[in-house]
Amino acid sequence: MTGGMEEFHNGSEGSFNAEEADTIVKECIENVVGGGDYSQSQVNKWTASIVERCLTQLVKQGKPYKYIVTCAVMQKTGAGLHTANSCYWDTAMDGSCTVRWENRTMYCVVSVFAVATA
Amino acid sequence: MVSFLLFHSPNFAGFVVEDVSTIIKESVEATIGGNAYQHNRVNQWTTSIVEQCLSQLSKLGKPFKYIITCVIMQKNGAGMQTASTCFWDNSTDGSCTVRWENKFVYCIVSVFGLAI
Repeated sequence: MTGGMEEFHNGSEGSFNAEEADTIVKECIENVVGGGDYSQSQVNKWTASIVERCLTQLVKQGKPYKYIVTCAVMQKTGAGLHTANSCYWDTAMDGSCTVRWENRTMYCVVSVFAVATA
Repeated sequence: MVSFLLFHSPNFAGFVVEDVSTIIKESVEATIGGNAYQHNRVNQWTTSIVEQCLSQLSKLGKPFKYIITCVIMQKNGAGMQTASTCFWDNSTDGSCTVRWENKFVYCIVSVFGLAI
């Protein structure tokens, strides 16, 4: 599986901190899905829960950004999966972060896009 | 001055889901069409789809930043679920997701438009 675009465009103060976002996302995924097996009846709740938690944590940082958080959970059966992202924005201020996580029975790919408002 | 009037006039429709949906469908059809999942080509497909969409969207000339995501999955019985959530300005921003399939693959494309 491969993911999306580059994560960071520069390291200056006003820009998106991809490392922090990465940590937030990993914690949210672990808390929601953790060691569970892929379950058709639960997966709907998981994806909704992961994106909501991530968003809540990101907004708590109080930075002047709009956020988009996407999450895909796929069962491991050998099917091929490919994802790509493309963004038309301000490369100095905006940024994204993609986390690819897996356990024995499923893959989880979460992307956070942050677009500066100020 | 002219720009200000354009953005605030009643003809400025903001994020128009139908137009975006059409753009997405055309990009996916043109790129994948009736083809089967091919591991060595799918990388080009996803890139091509997002780039075509972005190019058509920027041609609309609207004051938006865009984020486009594309997922292509082989049909072999695996289950997949996707979700997204957004923290933005409900009055000006919008999104459009298109789920497309042929006999061999699923393709899900989402476009998020954020007003500048």
